[in-house]
Amino acid sequence: MLEFIGPALEHLFTLENFLWMNLGIFIGSVFAAIPGLTVILCVILFLPFTYKMTAIPGMMFLLGIYCAGGYGGSVSAILINTPGTPHAATTMMDGHPLSKRGRTKAALRIALYASAFGGVFSALMLLFLGPQVAQVAARLGTAEYFMVCLFGLTIIAGVSGKSMIKGIISACIGLLISCIGADPLTSYDRFTFGISRLYLGLDLAICLIGLFALVEILSKAEKKPGPLVLDTEKMNDKGEITKEEYKRMLRPTLISSLLGVMVGIIPGTGASEASWLAYDRARAMSRHKEEFGKGSVEGIAAAEAANNAVTGATLIPLLTMGIPGDGTVAIMLSALMINGLNPGLSLFTTQGDIMYAIMIGLVFVNLFMLLQGQFLTKLFAKVVSIPQEILTPIIVIFCFAGAYSVNKNYFDVGVALLFAIAAWFLRKLDMPPVPILLGMVLGNMTETNFRRALLLSNGNPAVFVSSIYCIIFLALTVFAIAALVRSKMKEAKTDKRGEE
Amino acid sequence: MKKRFLSSVLALVMVIVLLAGCGGSKTTSWTVTCPWAPSGVAAMVSQKAASLSTEYSDSIILVADAIKGDAATVNTWVADTKAGDPELVFAGEGLFAITSILDPAKLQFTYDDFVFVENLYSSVFVMSADASLGIKSIDDLKAYLETVEEVSVATNGATGSEAFLAASLLGAMGYGNKLKLTPYSSAAEAAQAVVRGETNLAVSHQSQILESYQQNGVTIVCAFDESDITEGVFAGIEGVGKYGYPYFRNRCFVLARSGTEAKVVEELKALYDDILSDEEMKTWLVDTMMLEVDTMTEADVQAHIQNVQNIVNEYYDLVVQ
Repeated sequence: MLEFIGPALEHLFTLENFLWMNLGIFIGSVFAAIPGLTVILCVILFLPFTYKMTAIPGMMFLLGIYCAGGYGGSVSAILINTPGTPHAATTMMDGHPLSKRGRTKAALRIALYASAFGGVFSALMLLFLGPQVAQVAARLGTAEYFMVCLFGLTIIAGVSGKSMIKGIISACIGLLISCIGADPLTSYDRFTFGISRLYLGLDLAICLIGLFALVEILSKAEKKPGPLVLDTEKMNDKGEITKEEYKRMLRPTLISSLLGVMVGIIPGTGASEASWLAYDRARAMSRHKEEFGKGSVEGIAAAEAANNAVTGATLIPLLTMGIPGDGTVAIMLSALMINGLNPGLSLFTTQGDIMYAIMIGLVFVNLFMLLQGQFLTKLFAKVVSIPQEILTPIIVIFCFAGAYSVNKNYFDVGVALLFAIAAWFLRKLDMPPVPILLGMVLGNMTETNFRRALLLSNGNPAVFVSSIYCIIFLALTVFAIAALVRSKMKEAKTDKRGEE
Repeated sequence: MKKRFLSSVLALVMVIVLLAGCGGSKTTSWTVTCPWAPSGVAAMVSQKAASLSTEYSDSIILVADAIKGDAATVNTWVADTKAGDPELVFAGEGLFAITSILDPAKLQFTYDDFVFVENLYSSVFVMSADASLGIKSIDDLKAYLETVEEVSVATNGATGSEAFLAASLLGAMGYGNKLKLTPYSSAAEAAQAVVRGETNLAVSHQSQILESYQQNGVTIVCAFDESDITEGVFAGIEGVGKYGYPYFRNRCFVLARSGTEAKVVEELKALYDDILSDEEMKTWLVDTMMLEVDTMTEADVQAHIQNVQNIVNEYYDLVVQ
């Protein structure tokens, strides 16, 4: 490794690389901050620019978009209660409540710091432990994937709000929606009703626009409009974070970064799974559980650290084994292949200088993201002071444009609208939308791995306890359920005493 | 003053934009829609070809676009285009020979809705095996199949080209009853399944198994082609065709809407041929993507589709259960 560091630094430290890196960060931050415009879409749009570049500047540009996109999604989640990207839905849980308390700038800064920390952490993991970590991840098979998903489903309890039953019903709706499209094991169509655009299922980004963004607009439409005024109080928000808050952020940021890396190296998973898992763990370990969902700094830090820690981790299987960790990274793979680089361990010996330049570059991408974010935070924070009468139509336009842009199809705009109406009705029934999202995120992966594991084992359920990894995740699931039952029993006792 | 200055700048920009549109350029932009994942092989080749289009033509610019959706995307493309529109679309044997038999209701088009322009590449699939099994040839495979009751094969998707190739090989060898197809969500996942020994075999494109092969994670059993592979890392791997077993390559046809002028189609074909004979493009296709330049005629395309349809019809029962 050391023999490549010198040449790698020589390749990396050019003005061109740093210009492209910063341009990517700026584009990624702004793009992901707009609801419906996902990071993957941004990478697809700008990919052709990299075809005329060499591998390092091309990758720096795309990594800039990728990492900044991880943070940018949190901006709209905090400002307007609408996640810019699917994984930012977790940040929304506490980011928006904190913003509503007049601390928008602080919420944005917490998200930025945690994101940058998570990003640097995972970049260092990639740099120093990439090949070793990849080998462990490669041992995880279908049964292990299912156990990870099962553990992930326990998060539903934590995001169900006041009523667990309603949370579970919402999650079931999400799981049902995830069944739409071709059966993953037989290719038979399910719930497509002959509509060709449903053959591949529903796109998460489109559903998200309806579930969180448009439904918010519908709810606002119910309220009587007030006078058109600029919220000067919010404009004067200094964005200060206290020492105590920094201390509280530290532990969840560290643990979530680690969790983000662990989830990110498993191909097929992604930032959404990582951020929900981290958020749930942060709440379970917090001394201020009651603040979660109401503007907890720990909640924001955990979600953001985890989703940006995924960025470096998804590159581990890509660069070491040629397996893209998620969809965005799969597209970035073409920027390497177009330059004649076929990622894999062999590339570390034949083109080690380029590989290490990219990995070291990722550390700098996150550092520059922090610098740019400091400046952008001031600009973004001004959004909350814009009167709703002006902001709302702009959001609606972005939502519809975003829904259309995913597949360049009006059908998706209709889907987003349908989800908005359904979410509005569910809101009237006090049903939480977050478990629906979780059901959709985990549904397909859970079902596919469960059925495939049984297919491989000829129907023998012992496959789910066939390895040490399976047993660890099973134990974690049992522990999570037991802790949940215990806390619910405690709550019931407290309520009973209160009544007496 | 400030307002006046800004208004003047804005007016100037508008005039420049309007004048720019009056150039009377004879260049036509042709959008090339790839109905598969933007990260996939076809999308990558399309992007590369598009980036070279301006070097070989003054009148045609190719603009690559990828909209994941397979049949659904092609359905929309057919519905939204008419003869002569500067639109091209990709399709392969998957749509015309597999989906058309397995699920014809999914296709709101037939081959007659298109006019063939060129074939972009062809790719030879290979069968890999768990390294611990030591299967390195067809004979090894035969010996192994004699000793086991069941053999699991990882494929990308349940009813794709890879599944039919696995079924046709084992079916033709007389071991179809032992086949257990195990579908994965992507080619990379299927390749990894055989590396960790979750399945015994896998069928994939060469580029998708290359790294695992180089790390000794798998052995390569055979290539789904007429003869042995002669060049590159996989040189010497046996082609199933020499044993008389069925095979087909993966191809990617560039199609225009039927009714498009023959002269225009010829121009497009000539442009693609120029791009595909570009030395940089050829080297990149072979060395990095492990694909072959494989220009075709309409008759070649029909023969290819017919061959795959025959295989699908014959081994339908082994794949669709």
